Amino acid sequence: MAAIEIERLTVRFGDVLAVDDVSIQIEEGEFVSIVGPSGCGKTTLLNLLTGLLPLESGGISILGKRPFAGNPEVAYMLARDSLLPWRSTLANASYGLEIRGVAKELREAKARQLLARVGLADFERHWPKQLSHGMRQRAALARTFCLDSPVMLMDEPFGALDAQTKLQLEDLLLELWNAERRTVVFITHDLGEAVALSDRVIVMSARPGRIVKQMPIDLPRPRSVRALQKSHEFHDIYSDLWEALEAGMKGAPAMIE
Amino acid sequence: MTAGLRVYAAHAAFIATFLGLWEYGARTEFLPQLFFGSPAGIVAYLWDGFAVSKKIWLDLGYTVSGTLISFVLGATLAMALGLAFVILPKLEQAMDPYLMVLNAMPRIALAPLFLLWFGLGIGSKIAIGTSLSFFIVLANTVAGVRGVSPDHITLSRSLGASPSQIFFKVTLPSAVPVIFSGLRLALIFSMLGVIGGEIIAAEHGLGQVLSYQQATFNMNGVMGLLALLACLGMLVTRGMSRLERALLKWQ
Ligand SMILES: Nc1ncnc2c1ncn2[C@@H]1O[C@H](COP(=O)(O)OP(=O)(O)O)[C@@H](O)[C@H]1O
Ligand SMILES: [Mg+2]
Repeated sequence: MAAIEIERLTVRFGDVLAVDDVSIQIEEGEFVSIVGPSGCGKTTLLNLLTGLLPLESGGISILGKRPFAGNPEVAYMLARDSLLPWRSTLANASYGLEIRGVAKELREAKARQLLARVGLADFERHWPKQLSHGMRQRAALARTFCLDSPVMLMDEPFGALDAQTKLQLEDLLLELWNAERRTVVFITHDLGEAVALSDRVIVMSARPGRIVKQMPIDLPRPRSVRALQKSHEFHDIYSDLWEALEAGMKGAPAMIE
Repeated sequence: MTAGLRVYAAHAAFIATFLGLWEYGARTEFLPQLFFGSPAGIVAYLWDGFAVSKKIWLDLGYTVSGTLISFVLGATLAMALGLAFVILPKLEQAMDPYLMVLNAMPRIALAPLFLLWFGLGIGSKIAIGTSLSFFIVLANTVAGVRGVSPDHITLSRSLGASPSQIFFKVTLPSAVPVIFSGLRLALIFSMLGVIGGEIIAAEHGLGQVLSYQQATFNMNGVMGLLALLACLGMLVTRGMSRLERALLKWQ
């Protein structure tokens, strides 16, 4: 059974067709990136998977269930770090577990573990405003992984970071993911990031969002995003996908094979 | 001498010179005492009021307690209503036009009405002060609650937070800084309302004494009371800022 099944999904906002007839299957433990121009419905897709938006046309199943807000099997990470500024790093990292009703001692112990893994062990008492962008995104990663959900949805989590910090966090994400190999749907507009991280990359067209191309990424794991920057194979895959992405920018209707 | 100390010294020197010239002008009758009083006369007036006849304490008490009661009453009602608006958006829609009209009205112009309804005593002053502080805190509570980050709400909803969890863990804490700046302003305006009411008609209070001193051409009294009110206002703002800093360390 696939972990996530999206079948013939179509989304309209009033008269605007945002997502058009999209079907995606994602296996358990697979890391899939979805790349596409801004406004092609990537965030909308995740909002449907988390049950924040009602499904109107098409089918979605996540580990055999229909999406619903508060699904403990799904962890959502937003584009901006969305740390609560009045909470310490520790209280932010354990926020998800707190909402899910985990007892204080348990959730704080778990959050401390994750903060150590993301390199923030010494910052648990700091306020978000005292952390750099990169550190804040590390804290958000800790909060997301703290949930232990088998499915993780990430919406351009590193989109706002500078290139150096981004590389560090991509490697950190791979390290965290490699330990447990959960199912990940990773949204990005950065094709290089998508290729470096994923088992498969799905390219979407400009609005209305359609799938333009899907490509498995057969680079060996474990990977280092930094090391990949110098690999020929990486650049070949990149330029293949780039063509599809460029064609899709103009709103290419048909699937490129 | 440190830079900070030097600044204090400069201020002290300036004030001393200013008061010295004022006193000199008053004694040589270059500055008529009928209009400007004199520093020595002001000190004598305040000394008498606080230490000899001790009459000023009672009026100070009236003004301060009127201010505090108006502030607490106005702020509590406003926060309760503002937060009720979050839970019942329909209530806000229904009340909005009325609140707008009431807020647009210069509240001090209601003083004669309040005096008629609540009498010459502290009640009418509290009514004026409350009518001022209420709208300030209400506006800030509503703005604070509206300013909540949609990302925080999205994240919490995806985690399955209930409406009350979202209210207490996200909406309310995010509104606190804005509510607080409203509270600081409301405290000043409560004082303004109370003193304004006392000036118009009262039996006690610093405003009443001020208007009496003015009517009897005692400029030392007027100036002394103005200085006292300035100190009171500063004390109030300082206290609020300190409380704010202690409570909002995360900002
Ligand atoms: N709630 C909404 N109401 C109306 N239009 C919306 C709404 N949410 C998204 N859209 C539109 O749907 C399209 C897809 O949006 P989104 O999923 O945020 O794109 P992406 O994340 O790929 O940049 C955009 O054109 C956007 O304007
Ligand atoms: Mg988006």
